[in-house]
Amino acid sequence: MSKTIEMAAASRFTDRHRRRRRFSVVRWYRSGGLAALFFAVPLVLIFLYFNWGPIVRGVVLSLQHTNYVGPAQWVGLHNFEFVLTDPGLGKAALNTLYYAVLALIFGFPIPILLAVLINELRRWDWLYNVLAYLPAVVPPVAGILLWKFFYDPSANGIFNTILSWVGLGPYPWLNSGAMAMPSIVVYTTWAGAGSTAIIYIAALAGVRSELYEAAEIDGAGIWSRIWHITLPQLRNIILIMMLLQLIGTFQLFNEPFIFTGGGPNNATQTVMLRIYNYAFVNSDYGAATALSVLLAFALCLLSVAYYFATKKWGSS
Amino acid sequence: MKKQVFKAAFAAGVVGVLSASLVACSGLTGSSGSSGGSDSGSKADPNAKVTITVGDEPTADEPAAVAQFKKSVAAFEKLYPNITVKPSTETWEAQTFNAKLAAGTLPDTMGVSLTYSQQLIQNHQLPNMTPYLKQLGMLSELNPLAAKQAEDRAGNIYTLPYGLFQVGLSYNRKIFSEAGLDPNKPPSTWAEVQRDAKIIHQKVPKVAGYAQLTTNNTGGWMLTAMTYSMGGRVLNDQGTKTTFGPATTQALQLLHDMRWNDDSMGSQFLYNQDQIRQTFSAGKIGMVLQAPDIYGQATFTYGMKAADFGQTAMPQANGTNGTLTGGTIAMFNAKATPNQLLAAARWVKYEQFQQYFDKNLAIANAKANEHSVNPPGEPGLPPVSDAVNERYLGWIKPYISIPLQNFSGYTSANLKLVPEPFDAQQVYADLDPVVQKILTDKNANIAETLASASKTINGQLGQMSH
Repeated sequence: MSKTIEMAAASRFTDRHRRRRRFSVVRWYRSGGLAALFFAVPLVLIFLYFNWGPIVRGVVLSLQHTNYVGPAQWVGLHNFEFVLTDPGLGKAALNTLYYAVLALIFGFPIPILLAVLINELRRWDWLYNVLAYLPAVVPPVAGILLWKFFYDPSANGIFNTILSWVGLGPYPWLNSGAMAMPSIVVYTTWAGAGSTAIIYIAALAGVRSELYEAAEIDGAGIWSRIWHITLPQLRNIILIMMLLQLIGTFQLFNEPFIFTGGGPNNATQTVMLRIYNYAFVNSDYGAATALSVLLAFALCLLSVAYYFATKKWGSS
Repeated sequence: MKKQVFKAAFAAGVVGVLSASLVACSGLTGSSGSSGGSDSGSKADPNAKVTITVGDEPTADEPAAVAQFKKSVAAFEKLYPNITVKPSTETWEAQTFNAKLAAGTLPDTMGVSLTYSQQLIQNHQLPNMTPYLKQLGMLSELNPLAAKQAEDRAGNIYTLPYGLFQVGLSYNRKIFSEAGLDPNKPPSTWAEVQRDAKIIHQKVPKVAGYAQLTTNNTGGWMLTAMTYSMGGRVLNDQGTKTTFGPATTQALQLLHDMRWNDDSMGSQFLYNQDQIRQTFSAGKIGMVLQAPDIYGQATFTYGMKAADFGQTAMPQANGTNGTLTGGTIAMFNAKATPNQLLAAARWVKYEQFQQYFDKNLAIANAKANEHSVNPPGEPGLPPVSDAVNERYLGWIKPYISIPLQNFSGYTSANLKLVPEPFDAQQVYADLDPVVQKILTDKNANIAETLASASKTINGQLGQMSH
């Protein structure tokens, strides 16, 4: 009996709910719908024009041959054919992947470690915060030029002088095909670690202190606390940061452009640098956009694959 | 579940925004435009009221040059009351030029490196200036070699070349003396360059005997110059295919030997134009391939002593073969109207050519630039005939502070002048890695490296002609 009453009540509730959902222009107008539309439309239009406009125009341009002076010509998929058969693309793609892997293995854990260490400090933590964040304040071009100076390949270069104190070097750094990309990874890790660490530190502030207190009572040491509490609590932010880093590494441009110009012998030539060269050295804007579209497509696929690959980890 | 949906939406959003930025950052939106040029006869009215924008206004760090430029503008506007000139400090820079060209933000006329001439003509990014130059009676005044660099295969002229030079060898006279070499007898062959570089390396510590440009397309530029000096060419006459032969191989072998056998090239092998000029001016390089316009930058900008600077002709091998030419062209905006193009051509004629015919203007310009990055009397190829040029040099002689005796090896040479290849910048860009590989990889295979570059260049030349 009581079950029947409950069902009837639930049915009434659902009906009411359905009735509420039915759209009424008058009610929409009276509840301020027009004002909402008034505020939303300019934003949507601006978003469409500035965010999706370039994407659509880019896709269109990738099917054209243009010099921006005369009328553009439709060339079908020729630009895609050209960039995919360009002998330099394979090397650029491999270099980009190599950088992404190096940055993931060596560059990714450092901000996490930095954040955890700063978080463990009881005193002067603000000072370490400032010191860690300082490289992020240096403008990228100035930072790169500074490091280029550090990477001077002569025996008088700063890094070579320091290493000579322990009997190492001199190393050619950016002047060697084998060392150029790792040298760039060292710089990007230095430049990016501070700002990423700040995000982790903020996330760590949200971890409940009772967890650590309980662990300490149970006799957990610092490494045990990090492994069993800190890292699991940071899991979601780590996943997001890893995705952002992966996408960022595939768009590497400033560092090879200023450090090496893609050299030596294309050892630091990346896909983004290739796009730049198509557009602004060869004036081949069709090929540049074709490769941009392919890269954007590859990044979309990567993001989807990443999402499914880490879904279980993120929700566990 | 909600969390997952949020994460998926977040990921998609991030990818979307990054993709947008990716395409947007390439600055590759929009297309089309209208050609301002006229293929048949000038449609310009010489008396029409017109406003033009002109580039290359000197910057505030050169007050005398700024004052002279403004004076030039005022005098020009007085001479042609129907033309209003709007000056701009826009100057040619390799890294930004194509972006600005595509964006349509360049002035109606400005100076651009000669290497772009053929690429811009082939890409139809320049207006046909023949009718306007004919209208101004300038066609007969142009140096024929210069005119050849500014025309298409049908003989139409698109730009006005001026400030021409031939690539030569700059050397530090002080370093030569320290190494026990005679600074008045710089090397004239590549074998002598190799020998002198080795001596400098052995006798002057922390100095590279010889250094080579390698980045931002300059590696290919100088490899092409070396190839020419050894009797070869990098492209066929039609500009459709590479023609690397024994000369290019010999040039690369020479660089390889100097780098790996003699160790006379120092430790830095990623030089662009500014970096190598700066290092040379600081006295850390004995010899480097350069045009004589390095002098102004070395002495005015980087403080090198004028007495230490030396310039000689391009070293040769396999006989006397010639050298690569270079310089500046006055580029005109394809989107300008016929009246603007005629006025812009008038301006270039007045600003670049008038001083060769007007003594007062020649002296005023020389006085203003006496202490600038473009000092008067800098050796180069005149845009006018030799007789006119000699008369002009006579007028400005009191204001020439350049130690011309240090350029005697350059000015006395009579080398054949070879124009740049078609699509020069693109070819040079693809040759940069070749030079870099030879200088950074001891076991580099020259033939294989050249074959790989050849494949890339031929593919891109095919794409250009598509």
